[in-house]
This record gives sequence, structure tokens and C-alpha cells, in this order.
Amino acid sequence: MTVPRGAASAGTAAVRCRSVGVSFGTVRALHSVSLDLAPARIHALVGQNGAGNTTLAKVLGGLQTPDAGDVHIAGRKLPPGDVRSARAAGLAMVHQHFSLPPSFTIAEALELTAARPEGRSVYRRAELHRRWHEDVADVGGTAALSTRIRDLPVETRQSLEIVRALTTEARILVLDEPTALLTPAAIEALFERLRRLRDDGITVLIVLHKLREVVAVADTVSVLREGELVLGPVEMSEATQGQISDAIVGPASGADRSIGVAAATGAEHPTLLELVRVSSRESAFEPGLRSVDLSVESGEIVGVAGVEGNGQRGLVSVIAGLGAAIEGSVLLGGSEATRSPPGRRRSRGLRLVPFDRNSEGISRSAPLWLNQSALRLIGRRRRRSPLISLRDYKRQATEALDHWQVRYNAVTQPAESLSGGNMQRLILARELAPGLEVLVAAQPTRGLDFSATSFVRRSLRGLRDAGAGVLLVSSDLDELFELSDRLLVMYGGQIVARLEAPFDRRAVGDAMTGASR
Amino acid sequence: MEQILATTLRSAAPLALVATAGVFAFRAGIFHLGLEGLMIVGAFTTVAVGEATGSVELGILAAIGVCMVLSAVYWWVIGPLGANVIIAGLGLTSIGLGGTAFALGAIFDRRGSMFTEVVLPRPVSGITSGFGVIVSEHSVLVWMTPLIVLTAWVVLRRSRFGLRLAAVGEYPFAARAAGVNPSVVRLQALLIAGALCALGGAELSVGALHNFTENMTNGRGFIAFVAVIFGAWHPIGAALAALFFGFADAIGIQSQINITERVPREFVLMIPYVLTILAVWLGGLWRRRSLEAEAGYAELREPDR
Repeated sequence: MTVPRGAASAGTAAVRCRSVGVSFGTVRALHSVSLDLAPARIHALVGQNGAGNTTLAKVLGGLQTPDAGDVHIAGRKLPPGDVRSARAAGLAMVHQHFSLPPSFTIAEALELTAARPEGRSVYRRAELHRRWHEDVADVGGTAALSTRIRDLPVETRQSLEIVRALTTEARILVLDEPTALLTPAAIEALFERLRRLRDDGITVLIVLHKLREVVAVADTVSVLREGELVLGPVEMSEATQGQISDAIVGPASGADRSIGVAAATGAEHPTLLELVRVSSRESAFEPGLRSVDLSVESGEIVGVAGVEGNGQRGLVSVIAGLGAAIEGSVLLGGSEATRSPPGRRRSRGLRLVPFDRNSEGISRSAPLWLNQSALRLIGRRRRRSPLISLRDYKRQATEALDHWQVRYNAVTQPAESLSGGNMQRLILARELAPGLEVLVAAQPTRGLDFSATSFVRRSLRGLRDAGAGVLLVSSDLDELFELSDRLLVMYGGQIVARLEAPFDRRAVGDAMTGASR
Repeated sequence: MEQILATTLRSAAPLALVATAGVFAFRAGIFHLGLEGLMIVGAFTTVAVGEATGSVELGILAAIGVCMVLSAVYWWVIGPLGANVIIAGLGLTSIGLGGTAFALGAIFDRRGSMFTEVVLPRPVSGITSGFGVIVSEHSVLVWMTPLIVLTAWVVLRRSRFGLRLAAVGEYPFAARAAGVNPSVVRLQALLIAGALCALGGAELSVGALHNFTENMTNGRGFIAFVAVIFGAWHPIGAALAALFFGFADAIGIQSQINITERVPREFVLMIPYVLTILAVWLGGLWRRRSLEAEAGYAELREPDR
């Protein structure tokens, strides 16, 4: 392991952190982090969710006041927690969550974030458009200055965030998990852009989760674990992948969890979930389903690939009973369930890990124990007493959460206080409870770090081995290839390809983009 | 007919001023239910200070000052102290209604209402027939209202301050990321709202009338708040909504005068409120689609940790 270079490069460092510490209540987000970043390089910062990456990025950008330590940019000390002086010193941030208000037009958003306001404080639309029309050309796509942010596709919004950052004449660009929402092609375009910026002399610090992306773009890598800098910055040429992933994960922890599944019957691969010629109405974001046939048998993982917005959300909501099929039928365990409400389907063994864990998977404001037991409270058909015992539910929740290794302080804390990975564990702890026969998992690892991702994948495999059926909807092709026994590709609301392992990446790609049709 | 239009303008002006106040607060992300309270404090302070000094200008300046101080207190309670915005707003309204009634007794030893000599100048008056009636007998504040609304539009929709205000209200994180302090912007918005409420109250007591009466706002602050929503929190939209509510009010007043025998009085009194409910319901139907589109951004508002 390489020690951070101290005095040798101190004079030339573009960014310099000295013993930075941040605590949230009793949780230590960053502990004495010292880091020197050389100018005109791409520096990757990696770590698990909750390791402190985002917090460190926010300290640099002036959005988070550190409890201890300080930040120097080009040799000058920054006043802590001050966005304006960080920008004046030439540091701009691209946030994990987009930082432009959705109802603003591009011109208004650029004017809002401009570092040095020019002209009168009252403007006419035409003036704004004159001022920003050169910058919008860098955004690419079909974006025009009067387009509202909310109408832009994700990659254009990302691109606009970078343009926005650069309008402040930044010399240092900090990107916090910029790849989480992007397609592989858009990620490559982003990396190419960062390389060009580096060649123009800009220092880039990029927070990443995927090792493959680190290898693809970074010049140096630093690793945070539990708020401490455990590696780096080291030159990529001097670090091995094994070394980096060891630093991320730390000493081995926890054996694989076993999962109890009720459906492990002797019958040979019964069909658990079947869709027969199902069509649905289109939504604002997607085409409707068109005559979709699919089946999931006991003991298999069926992957669903496709570019986002090709009917995956409609598929999941029709199966879950949240959206109506206008044609065709849904069968659970061989019997009709097309008109069954979600609760009935649930009691027949259907479970769901929804697309958006924040808004669909949990209630953010409800305590952990209620998130854990709410669906059981609703689902149970006949209870002896109309009253429930809170103590019992809290005890059961504690057991389930401990079993699934959710990191929490008390079962009474609100679910929003958990990190992304722990939220997903909370959802799994609830959904993978006994009684499960079929699991529909929608983007179950999106935005999760390395160890949480492998935990989720292990859980899905464990389910399959125990005889359950899994329908896995994902936009991560590597994940689909690794886990699926069969693979379906969706395009325009239809299933356009059905593939068996081993999968041909090319064939999947062609089907996803509609090239094979 | 001319009389109805004249009454419409007279009832709409204070509503439009207070609705503009509501738009400033709403755009900064504050559901301001203290509008009613600020309005009546404005009405009372104008009369009280006007009586004491004999000058209506000093009265209005004092009203603006008092309402801005109360707005700053409201900001302090909902911001730094973290109280619930709705409850604190309703509290402000209760304090305003109760406090002015109490002060009326304590300072002037009156019950219910007091007459005042000070009154706002009326640029055009004395016309009793023809279309001139429409513009006659309005206080200078009524004349200024369109100008104030237009200024509010420029500030909110065509100035950098307006952009900061909108960013704070829509997506505070965006404001913080742009180096804007949301708390300071909210204070600025509330101070502006306070001043506008004071004007609305003053128009009520020394513009249209010559007196202050307990609870004389009679829910106008809340109607103004409805106008904000109905006008899609756009200054011009809110002013047009205020104009509509003023019209409904004028119809009610005129019908009371003209239809006395055939229809029970209570039904006539209902007219403005029934029209308001209908309009708000229709407006809601019309706007539901755009709200659904907004809902798609729920994930944006609540970032993952």
C-alpha cells in the first residue's frame, strides 16, 4: 500500500486536504482525511456507499462544513463550508443528484449558477439567450436554451451539469458518482470528455463505484473505507485491481446468508409466474406492453434486458398488480390472477423489489420496524385479535434486520436515515421473508456499492437454488449475464428476443437497440 | 353594470396586493397562511398611526414596518426555530385578528370599530353616470395595484433575484449548490410579502372605507391565498384570479341591493363563495395534468444519502 505523498508534492498540489473530519451525530463520516491531488490528472475516489465519498466531495465544494481540518486550493486555504469561495478559487462540483431546478429553462439555470453575474439584475429573455448560446452548444443533443431541464434526457442533463460547472471557469472539477444514471455509451462519452478536459489542464476528481470504470478513466486512485483514507492516491499503473478491491471491502466480513423459502417442493420446475399475451396502456414515460408472453419456472432466474423506457416499468407493474392489463392474463402458480389486487398476489407468494427504493420500496419517514412489518400487517387474512403487539413486531423486525445485516442504530429510526445499500437490505429483509415463491427484482443493485451489490446478487442466487423463481429486470448487462438462466430483451413494449445461456453480447445489444428487427 | 365593474375593482385591489404577497412566499416554498393576519395588522396600524399623526402616508409606512417586523418573526419561527409552516402561519393570523381587536380596545377604548378622518387620496372622483363610474372613487392604491403586480412579475420572472427565489422554492439543493443561502432568500421573500400585505390592509381600511372594524378582512387573506394557487403562483395569474374573486364579490353585493324579495338573502350572500368553489374546482381539473408531470420528479426532491 502506498503512503500519500507528503512534502514532495505539497507545493504543486491542485487540491490539498489536511486532516478533514466530519461527523453526523454519533456517526463519523470522515476521519482525519489528508489528500493531495496533483494538477491536470484524473483522480478517482472509490469506496462503498457510506464510506464518505460524497461527504468528502461536498467538503471540497463548500456544501459541507468540516468539523476539523481544512482544504487548500492551489496553495490557498478555503473558508470552510462556503460554496462561493470554493467556486471563486476555481473548484466546481457536479453533483450525484442533479443540481438544476427541473422547471427552469437551460438559460435560466445557467444564469442562476453563473459565477460572475453580468449586466443589470433585470433581464430580457433575448439577453439571456445571447449570453448563453455558446455554452449550450457544448451540451450536445437537441437541447435549446428555452428547453426546460425536466424535458431533457438523463445524459443531456448530466452533460449540462458539467457545462454548468465549467461556465465558472473551473480549474478543478469534482464529480460525485456521475455514472450512476448513465447508459454504457453515455459513460464512455463522459469519460472521453473528462480526458479532453484533463488534457486542457483541468484537475478532475471523480467518485466512482465500479472498478471497471476506475480502470477505464482514472490516472490515480484513492480509496475511502468507513470515513478513512485507506489507499492512495496511487498511480493506476502501480495499483492492482485486487489491491483496490481489498482496500474497498476491507477484512472479510460475514458469511453468506441462507434464505428460507417455502416453495422448495419436490415438484419438478412448476411454472410459478406466467404472462399470456398481455398488453397494457402506455404511460408518460414508456410505451405500453404489446402482447407479452413470458414464464418463470421454479429454480430459475429470468433476466429482462432493454434500454430503459421500453416497457420494463409497465411489465413490473402489471405483474405486481399495480397497473392493469387491457388484454391477456397473468397467472400465478398456474391459476388466474389477472384481476387480483396486489395484496392477494402477495399472499400467493409474489414479492417485489421495486425500481425506486426511495419512493416505492420504503416509506422514508416511517420507522424501520414499520417498514419491515407493514405489508405483513396488511397481508394477513385472519388475525385472532384486532390489536397488535408493537413489542412483537419490533422484536421480529430486529431479528430480520440483524439476519440481513442491515446497519442501523434502533428499529425506531426512520428509514431515510439508512444509506442506499442498507435500504436495499431492508427491502430484501421484508420481501424475501418465508412464503416467497416468485420474486420480481427491478434494478436491485442500481446505485449500490461493491459489497452491497454482491450481497444482493448472492441473495438472488440463493433464492433460485432454494427453488424460487426470479424475474430480474436490470440495465446492467454484466449483471444479467452473470445471474440469468434465460434472458428476454424488451424493445418498444415487446419481447423481441429470447436467449439461453451462454449469451451473445452482440445479439443482446442488437435486440436492445432494435437493430435486429 | 358600471357599478358592478367599479365594485369589482374596489374588492379586487386588496385581494390582488395580498395575493402578490402570497406569490412571493409561495415561490420561495412557503405556504403562507399568515396573510390574513398581516393584512388586518396592516389595516389597523394604518388607522392607528394615521389617527395619531394625522398623516395617511406615515400610517402606511408604519403599517409596512410593523408587517415586515412580524414577517421577520414568522421567518425566525419557521426557519431557525424549525416550527411547522402551516401552524405558525395560522398562529400569525390568529395573533393578527385577536391582537388588533385587543389593541382597538386598549389604545382607543373602542369596541368593534373606529372611524377615521385620514383617508387615501382619490385621483378621480365625483363621476356619477356613464362609463366614468368604473374609474371613479378609487383610492390611489387601487390605481397603483396594476403597476405593483407588473413590478412583481418583472422581479419574479425576469430578474436574478427571481431565479434565486424560484430555485429556493422548487429545489433548495439547487440553490445551495449555486451558492445561494435559502434561508436568507426566504427572509427576503417574506419581508416583501409583509410589505404587500400592509398595503392590502391599508387599502381596506383607509382606501375603500374610513374605518377599522374588528375582523374586517373577513377571510380575504385566505381568498388571496386561494388566488395564488388558482393563478398557478404566477403574479399575473394570481392578480387575474383576484379580479375574478372581486367580480364574484361585486355580484354578491349588487344582488343584495337589487334582488331583495324573491330570493332569500342567505342565498345571495352565498354567491361569491359558490363561484369561488366552482372556479377553484375547474382550475384544479384543468391543471391536474401538469401536476402529474411534476410528480415524476419526486425522486429528485428526496436525494438518497
